[in-house]
Amino acid sequence: MSLTVVKGLQSEIFVPNTPPVVWTPVTKPLNEMVVALVTAAGVHLKTDKRFNLAGDTSFRVIPGDTPSDQLMVSHGGYDNADVNKDINCMFPIDRMRELAEEGVIKGLAPVNFGFMGGGGDVKVFTEETGPQIAKQLKEEGVDAVLLTAG
Amino acid sequence: MIVQRAIEEAGIPTIIIAALPPVVRQNGSPRVSAPLVPMGANAGEPNNPEMQRLITKETLEALVSIETPGRIKNLPYEYIAEI
Repeated sequence: MSLTVVKGLQSEIFVPNTPPVVWTPVTKPLNEMVVALVTAAGVHLKTDKRFNLAGDTSFRVIPGDTPSDQLMVSHGGYDNADVNKDINCMFPIDRMRELAEEGVIKGLAPVNFGFMGGGGDVKVFTEETGPQIAKQLKEEGVDAVLLTAG
Repeated sequence: MIVQRAIEEAGIPTIIIAALPPVVRQNGSPRVSAPLVPMGANAGEPNNPEMQRLITKETLEALVSIETPGRIKNLPYEYIAEI
């Protein structure tokens, strides 16, 4: 028995679709991995240009040896109070370096990235920003990436 | 999640520490860790290096242990921000 009365009728309620699966298998143990940090939290060097809080698809490179007190946040989409007290609560760069010293990971990547997520021009993020960051990480031979966002 | 997916597509395995895990999964994140934190302190309470260390370390371990795309690894660390 068919319960369909009108063919092709769609819900008036917006139902978001989950995009197709992307998946790269892990091929080495953690202690052999050079891991990069990437964050949508708007982290950058204090000497860098701030993000445009109204929407910004650009990104900033954060060298792996940057002292955490030389980092800051410009992001208009969340409460910056915690991250202004301690950048590590959104960008755990000191924790990553400690884990590298302990031998949990091989090392923190020489290049890490900050951008301002949570909105902006989705098309540009998809077609330009994302692939550009991915390309630089690939060129550096990074084994894995830890992100903070969402 | 857009950027995470781009990196994963380029052939580098990724994991994201999310404060809003259902949103992240809905947007097609391959691997997610989810401590009990507010947006803005995904890696743990400010000036609490031990909590940050455990969240960071266990997220990295989840990168290796998660075998199914879209899987969320819940982490038992809680930070309630004082607003």
